[in-house]
Amino acid sequence: MKTPSENHDLSRWLDSEMDETERASFEEHLKHDPALAKEAQEMRALSATLRSHLPAEMKMPHADFFNSQIQVRISQMEADEARSSQTASPSWTTLLRWLRQPWFAAAGAMALAVLSFVLFRPASVAPTQSTILSSYTPNTHVRAHTFHDAAADATVLMLDGLDAVPEEKKISGISVQSSEMEPEFASTTLYDAAGVRLLMISRDVAGTPMIWTKAPRG
Amino acid sequence: MPASAATDLGEVSDIDLVKRSQAGDTRAFDVLVTRYRGRIYAMTYHLIQNETEAWDLAQEAFIKAWRALPSFKLDAGFYTWLYRIAHNVSYDWLRKKKIQGDGEFDDEHTAHRAAAGAETAPKGDPSPDVAMRNAEVGQRIQTAIAKLSPEHRQVIVLREVEGLAYEEIAAMIPCSLGTVMSRLFYARKKLQEQLKDVYENTL
Repeated sequence: MKTPSENHDLSRWLDSEMDETERASFEEHLKHDPALAKEAQEMRALSATLRSHLPAEMKMPHADFFNSQIQVRISQMEADEARSSQTASPSWTTLLRWLRQPWFAAAGAMALAVLSFVLFRPASVAPTQSTILSSYTPNTHVRAHTFHDAAADATVLMLDGLDAVPEEKKISGISVQSSEMEPEFASTTLYDAAGVRLLMISRDVAGTPMIWTKAPRG
Repeated sequence: MPASAATDLGEVSDIDLVKRSQAGDTRAFDVLVTRYRGRIYAMTYHLIQNETEAWDLAQEAFIKAWRALPSFKLDAGFYTWLYRIAHNVSYDWLRKKKIQGDGEFDDEHTAHRAAAGAETAPKGDPSPDVAMRNAEVGQRIQTAIAKLSPEHRQVIVLREVEGLAYEEIAAMIPCSLGTVMSRLFYARKKLQEQLKDVYENTL
């Protein structure tokens, strides 16, 4: 084991923390200490290897989603502050936040489709003008479209490019008629025409997302 | 790095973007996010060695920065200030992990989708052999760093990735210069033991 002084000198030399006089003196010392010179050479090689494989800048996965999520969270913080003096009221921002979570998209097409169905039909928007407020899937080949049938009073969400949905997760026939949001619990519940709960999304005390769905029909 | 979003703001200086952000302009802040997300993510990823956690922590850093913007002094460098926030967020996470995990640091290690070396700016297309070798070395390095303690991992990232001077590292942690040198030395010794066969080809 080298002395602390030598350790520090070696590190300082390696990291260009010595002035010219110190550096010249240390390099002179290296010429007469083969063991230290070998150590210095190895440390320098290690440092070079690390630097060449540890980039200071990396490609951010899902970069656009990263930005949009930050914007959503900022909007939500501001909305929460504005709402703090008011009675809690339903807001789409919480639902949007859920929808934009990567885990949520990964949870499956069913949840994404159901929530989108509601989102695309806000009361203030005319039926034929359904708009996609937000969509996200890890697979960038997936494209979302909506179709509204005024006669049927229904909006259909189409996800092109999605993998086949397993048989046990068939989503046809689900009709969301209403939703309730509880901002205090960050939860959203979707109901069918009979008032039966179809889907509930929330977090547990640790902040872990949870999704409850209606039990499949036998 | 030019911003891909909001191109009309892409060439605006940091300080002007910060001023706009302080006035509540989230679009200006979005440009700052785009400008620095790659560097902040690289730091959190090298420290945490877990893609998902690093992504979340990078986002947490930007959110904290947004909330702290009113206290940001315009004569300071925005990136340095942002980097410090991201560093503190990540290091706090690491320390909590250490407390919860009895010091085991290599159990949660998840490799980035591509090898670390492949994530840098394009340098031309390497041959398949070279690319594979780079990927292997990158993986070995990630594994070795994942086994370091938070303190040792921290100084290696600050020095070898960010290229900070000792005084800057000491101010960032914060600790004495002697502690910086000591931690760097022992961190390198541990990496040396694990990576000897990797770097000895370059000797």
